[in-house]
Amino acid sequence: MTVDRAKPRLIGRGDLLAALDRAAARKVTIISAPAGSGKTSLLRAWADRPGQPHRLAVMQVQRDQNDAQQFWLALLGAVRQASAPTSRAEPPAATPGFNGRAMVDRALSELAGQRGRFILVIDDLHELTSPDALAQLTRLLTSLRADVHAVLATRRDLPLRLHQLRLAGELAEIRAADLVFSERETRELLDASGVALSDAGVALLHQRTEGWAAGLRLAVISLTGHPHPERFVAEFSGSDRTVAEYLIAEMLEHQPDDVKDLLLRTSVLDRVNGDLADLLTGRPGSERILLELENANAFVVSLDPGRTWFRYHHLFGDLLRLELRRALPAEVPGLHRRAADWLIQHGQVVDAIRHMQAAGDWPRAARLLTDYSFSMTLDGQTQTIQALLQAFPPSTDHPELALVHATVDLIQGRLDEAAAHLAVAETYAATAPPDRQRRLHVAIASLKLYLARRRGNFADVLEQAKFLASPVTGQSDEDITLDTDLRAVALMNLGILEAWSQGLPDAERHLQEGTDLARQIGRPYLEVACLAQLGFASRIRSFATTRRRCQEAIALADRHGWGAEPIIAPALVTLAGNLVWTGEFDEAERWLQRTEWALQTDAGPGIRQLLHLATGRLHAGRGRHHEALEELRTAEHLQSQLAGPHAMASQVTGWMLATQARAGLAGEARASLAALDDELASSGEVGNARAVICLAEGDPAAALAAVAGVLDGTAPVVGYVTLVETHLLAALAHRELGDQRAANQATDRALALAEADRLVLPFVMTDSAELLEALPRHETAHAALLADILDVLHGSSLAAEDKPSSPLTELSPTELRVLRYLPTNLSRPEIAGELSVSVNTVNTHVRNIYAKLQARDRSSAVQRARELRLLSTGLTR
Amino acid sequence: MSVHLPALDHGLMDPAPVRYAIRIHGHLGATVLSAFPALVPQQHGADTVLTGLLDRSALYGVLAEVEALGLDLIEVRQLTADRKSPGSGDRRSP
Repeated sequence: MTVDRAKPRLIGRGDLLAALDRAAARKVTIISAPAGSGKTSLLRAWADRPGQPHRLAVMQVQRDQNDAQQFWLALLGAVRQASAPTSRAEPPAATPGFNGRAMVDRALSELAGQRGRFILVIDDLHELTSPDALAQLTRLLTSLRADVHAVLATRRDLPLRLHQLRLAGELAEIRAADLVFSERETRELLDASGVALSDAGVALLHQRTEGWAAGLRLAVISLTGHPHPERFVAEFSGSDRTVAEYLIAEMLEHQPDDVKDLLLRTSVLDRVNGDLADLLTGRPGSERILLELENANAFVVSLDPGRTWFRYHHLFGDLLRLELRRALPAEVPGLHRRAADWLIQHGQVVDAIRHMQAAGDWPRAARLLTDYSFSMTLDGQTQTIQALLQAFPPSTDHPELALVHATVDLIQGRLDEAAAHLAVAETYAATAPPDRQRRLHVAIASLKLYLARRRGNFADVLEQAKFLASPVTGQSDEDITLDTDLRAVALMNLGILEAWSQGLPDAERHLQEGTDLARQIGRPYLEVACLAQLGFASRIRSFATTRRRCQEAIALADRHGWGAEPIIAPALVTLAGNLVWTGEFDEAERWLQRTEWALQTDAGPGIRQLLHLATGRLHAGRGRHHEALEELRTAEHLQSQLAGPHAMASQVTGWMLATQARAGLAGEARASLAALDDELASSGEVGNARAVICLAEGDPAAALAAVAGVLDGTAPVVGYVTLVETHLLAALAHRELGDQRAANQATDRALALAEADRLVLPFVMTDSAELLEALPRHETAHAALLADILDVLHGSSLAAEDKPSSPLTELSPTELRVLRYLPTNLSRPEIAGELSVSVNTVNTHVRNIYAKLQARDRSSAVQRARELRLLSTGLTR
Repeated sequence: MSVHLPALDHGLMDPAPVRYAIRIHGHLGATVLSAFPALVPQQHGADTVLTGLLDRSALYGVLAEVEALGLDLIEVRQLTADRKSPGSGDRRSP
């Protein structure tokens, strides 16, 4: 080999490094110069120089990157790698949908989290062809924290709108003229490579290459060990051929056949390793050649610290590819095909499909894309799929691809197009070869389930979900992986549909299975999605469980940077709804705002309805009946966009009617009531609303009649929260009718039901202050809850559960029992009597409670205990 | 599902191919020329001139190739004469 095992010959270029140092003091530096100008070499030398004082995240944009999400994931990955270089940083997880705004926020917050000066280096930025990604990058660059800087390298000026940075003197540029080698640097480069050349020879070489870095480096390769370097330079100088072509031809000519063959054949690849190169050349020993080429700095660079993957300098690779097509045209399709086979075996599906397309093997490319498109969307490659679809020649017909189109349409929310494509796919599947049918049927069923969920279409779902019952029966690991992705998503969609159509127990089971499966196969996005829905699905059974699940989902979403994505909205809005029920209005409002933020990009009518219902309840709880009415009307309107009966229907309607009556529109409420269908009219929620209307009309007897069916259990209710209100409405009616004892009894029943979850809202809605104040205090076992409710009724919002700091020391269970009597007006001896202990024991406990809560007296202890949520049994443990 | 836009009638989006001459510094060899199969090369002194009928996107494809191969672009010229240049209109006015 003429290229021997020399050390990489990057010369110092101290002046240039100093120039880059000065430039990098600005916010953004752009290195803009043509191919082969030495941009990447400069960045490498600068980043790797000993004593580089800054921390750097270095990324190289993939060739022809038109997938904005993949660009951002790579950027995030580079930042994480830089912030935790020792450990293997967790790569950012992908999402099927792509929210550019959230992604930039995520990148900004990760960059803001870096300690000290931090520099983001992006090489080959001209390869980024997604206009969206460039716009998003502009926002990132103009919003960087003070000591975070960016250095970008590109072949041409890009449409980044950075004029404000330029005006502020925060934009530095290094251009082709700055990168040109001086004659002195040319001499240094030759010296470093051990090439002996006269001053005249150096001058001639410098003149011929015009100081172009790639030209000089190519010349050095040929000059190293050349018997007549002066003659080489003279001949080169006398030639009119372009620099790169002349020098590459020279270099190839002097390589041994096996090296030349390897360079040409592997030029079809974007990245090459020894194994792949062996396969394409049909000879062993390629890895050694690649390592030697890198050592000789022959435009081959390793991509990983272990030096197993390499890539060619783009310009060099492009020229090799042209030469391959000219010298061995018949070989090209076969090389692509072999590369595709290897890549598919090694799980690199996108590259494999690209090579099949390059080989002109359209049917196989179509089949592969069809099989993998669903999993690819889960990997966040929807835009990549679209680019692959576009690469198919329009003249050829591949009915299989209808399934791919359907997948992309679904992910991007074009539901009618998705349905149309699914119909085509189904027709095709019926006539497909038998070995394809099972796979196609499973994929179609899973997509139909997905579509049904997006449309809120609850009918015919179980038919689609049948395949879930059969075990995974793949022929290969690959089949099983693809099947598992489909199953996990199907479980999620099935669970969601069941949750929204009130099949609650099954919903929780399916969502739990979906969560577990997603965790098992390492699909965090699906895990978060299932968990978020699980919070929603458990909303009515137990507030404590619901809150825990919602918080768990939100924490996991935050960890992956999805805290503002639509995916987490069900957990956000369910948590907010819960907080409204427990009277924590201010906190609820914050979560509702977060929900709204998360729903900016994508919002099905179902989740929007939930948001409006919760917001309506919040307004109602604060006594703003007209605002509440507006929200509830919107919620009811959204109902009409849902295909089937819906978990929320009776609640939305019931609340709407009751709020109308409370806002002084009893007549309007009556009219709406009369127009309801039988099923809705017989629900407990509408029963309550009817009672509210009757009370507003001054007819308490009719109100009692309206709730009779709810109380005796003949009217179906969504959950016990409805019953709490029913008891209170009955109490109001009893009081109107002069039966205070029955009113007290009903109020106490409402309190007893509300105690476990500390429900406050029903009391507020029914304006129960007088009912509660009429209760003999010492007769109720719910003194703490009662005090909370009265607080809210008098206009304050309860403090959030997790906001105050915890007490110095945990209270013991007996102390907690004593504590719960402190808000009552029972004396210490009376408390002792209630608990069947001595007064001394109570005194000891009270002293300890004061000490642990840092309280001076009984009222400040009660105040503190309420802040810490120690007074009720429901939520604390 | 591709949508074909009707031809836009404002000159800027002339859909018909036009003859272009693209002058590049240096003599292009067979390898580099294979990147421009639609163009005919001719040497002019130390330069190479590539000529051929190109529509807009083909022209930009050629320019991208010139950029990718690190070629030294000297000039791009439209050769077709039947298009009215702004100057000819001026001359006709009195």
